[in-house]
Amino acid sequence: MNDSVVAQMVVSGALMGLVYALIAYGFQLTYATSKSINFGQGELVMVSAFICLSLTNLGLPYPVMVPLGLFCGSLLGLFVERSGVRLALEQKSEGWILLTIIIGLLFFSVSENIWGRDDRPFPTPIPSDAIQLFGISVTPVEISVAVGVFMIMGIIELFKRKTLLGKAFEAVSADRDAAELMGISATKTIMLSYSLSGMVAALAGILVAPITTVGPTMASALVLKAFSVAVVAGLDSGFGVVVIGLFLGALESLTSYYVGSGWREAPGLVLLILALAIRPTGVFGAAVIRKV
Amino acid sequence: MRRALIMTLLLGMVVTQAFAADVIKIAITGPFTGGSAPMGASMRDGAKLAIAEINAAGGIKVGAKMMKFEVTERDDEAKNERGALIAQELASMTDLSGIIGSVNTGVVLAGDKHLQEKGITKIITPAAGSASLTQWSKAGVKDLSIFRFAAHDGIQAAMVVEEAVKRNLLKVALFHDSTNYGVSGRDDMLDQIKKQGNKLEIVATEKFNIGDKDMTAQLLRAKNAGAQAILIWGIGPELAAIANGMAKIGIKAPLIGGWPLSMSNFLDNAGKNGNGTMMPQTFIEEPITPKAKAFIDGYHKTYKVTRIPSPVSAAQGYDAVYIFAAAVKQAQSTDTHKIKEALEDLKEPVKGVIATWQKPYSKWDPANFDTHEAFRRDQAVMGMVKDGHVVFANDADRQRLIKSATAVKGKKAK
Repeated sequence: MNDSVVAQMVVSGALMGLVYALIAYGFQLTYATSKSINFGQGELVMVSAFICLSLTNLGLPYPVMVPLGLFCGSLLGLFVERSGVRLALEQKSEGWILLTIIIGLLFFSVSENIWGRDDRPFPTPIPSDAIQLFGISVTPVEISVAVGVFMIMGIIELFKRKTLLGKAFEAVSADRDAAELMGISATKTIMLSYSLSGMVAALAGILVAPITTVGPTMASALVLKAFSVAVVAGLDSGFGVVVIGLFLGALESLTSYYVGSGWREAPGLVLLILALAIRPTGVFGAAVIRKV
Repeated sequence: MRRALIMTLLLGMVVTQAFAADVIKIAITGPFTGGSAPMGASMRDGAKLAIAEINAAGGIKVGAKMMKFEVTERDDEAKNERGALIAQELASMTDLSGIIGSVNTGVVLAGDKHLQEKGITKIITPAAGSASLTQWSKAGVKDLSIFRFAAHDGIQAAMVVEEAVKRNLLKVALFHDSTNYGVSGRDDMLDQIKKQGNKLEIVATEKFNIGDKDMTAQLLRAKNAGAQAILIWGIGPELAAIANGMAKIGIKAPLIGGWPLSMSNFLDNAGKNGNGTMMPQTFIEEPITPKAKAFIDGYHKTYKVTRIPSPVSAAQGYDAVYIFAAAVKQAQSTDTHKIKEALEDLKEPVKGVIATWQKPYSKWDPANFDTHEAFRRDQAVMGMVKDGHVVFANDADRQRLIKSATAVKGKKAK
């Protein structure tokens, strides 16, 4: 084995893995508070990327476009919560599964009609020329993905631990009924978690679009990987999705180098089956005792 | 309500019947949306430009009447199953004179059997996959209504291999996507390498899927195997991912491959990383002859662009319509079978923007699919990407085309 090749493959793969982790983090945020996830998360990523592309085409500079895009993302998250999740949760039904899928399909068709089906380049001020770090080629765009992912996750985790609102968030995650008895509105907390999740999706869109180009199907492959990451890591741990995301990304690119490019998707699926068979709560998940 | 609806429908049928007698119905099919759209939409727009010119001049004289073209458009979205449905629909139209189109070889393979069954004349352009016509050779079909107007992959693969040999890039990596097009392109390249005396050594063969963005693994394998050139068969967005990946890991070897390397979604998404990429072309967007200038200006003005998304597709769509029109004129009929016979034996040369076409087709012979192929090696040139545009890779080709255009004019003057 050639060390520099291994290092290069691990780094390239792990950077892609961070994007899986970021999308999986979006699942984790809403699961924590409401035990529901948005199956249309990939479409949120895509719609946000298209909105950001339109904002850029309007002539907005990057530093203005990014916060606006994040804001739109959180609005979209709120829309999903209001239209697809809240009613189902109030009736204690699993209807949110179908509803979020349907809203995702809706987003897909709407954006096909507004923006068309072509893959388009996403302008970014971050250069895409490769630089050498310890003999490994990476592009600043890829580094921006890593920086962005760690930044937003750090901010959200800090917010959850240090602010009153964040503590309410944690309380609802820990025990919804007890939190409500303490006067915390679970509905509002769930709204918050969905808007954060939408914001994370928008950031994923902004970060990954210069690499994947923007098109209606840009996130469909990513979101499947993110599901694997979320399930393997367990839906309780934000730290877990990062570790598993990095691991899966690196494993994928090593597989496609050493086994062959046709086997690229295999490790993710094997990992998923193994996790479900051996540790259904996820590697970093805690077993929850369900009181009946 | 219901009665009104039926009445309207009946009325509609009567009205179309009345018009039907005076028009030549032609269908244009192709992917007008999605990753192949630059080729499909340019082909359509080029064809419609030619149709607009013919209609503006009053149409084609068939018998005592001047007949105009009427176009039906169908978007196959580059999907095989959509293509099959569209072909079935078109095959059931009794008054259709012919079809021009198809970008994706998979779509051609899925749909054309329905057309051939009914004997509907189709000119395939710009789909280049060899299988589109070899499937009929293999089946031993005696009478074929399918023609092609594109430099097929056999010609293109030959040129790609020639170029690598000419530039003394003897260690090559073969890259291809996992579609029908990519796999048959790889086979054509392997075939050509053998035919041209095994001068090239294949150090790696790599494949990728539609939608893949990270090509680092495949490229590193090629790099570590010491590839001096990457010969590639794929479609725009993935080709761009390859070009960007090459820049990232510092591969200086040139990218040479099938003509989708000239698609706008490759040029735009690869940016300056696409510079130096080479691919066979049948038309370069450079006004080297008056005819080419008129065509390019016409396209830019009509569709309000400064660059044709796929010049090859546009020019081929344009010339295909003129060849079809010449066949209608010679057949003196809108009957698709008679047009087919005329196409197989065109008496008059057809002046197009790519070349002047002298008897592009002859009677179908299953042993020789070239009988229904319009392009030969001479009509194709090597193009090279330069700052988002495709230019001539070898100036000799440019001079040759200018010379042949003036030669034709000279002949006419005599």
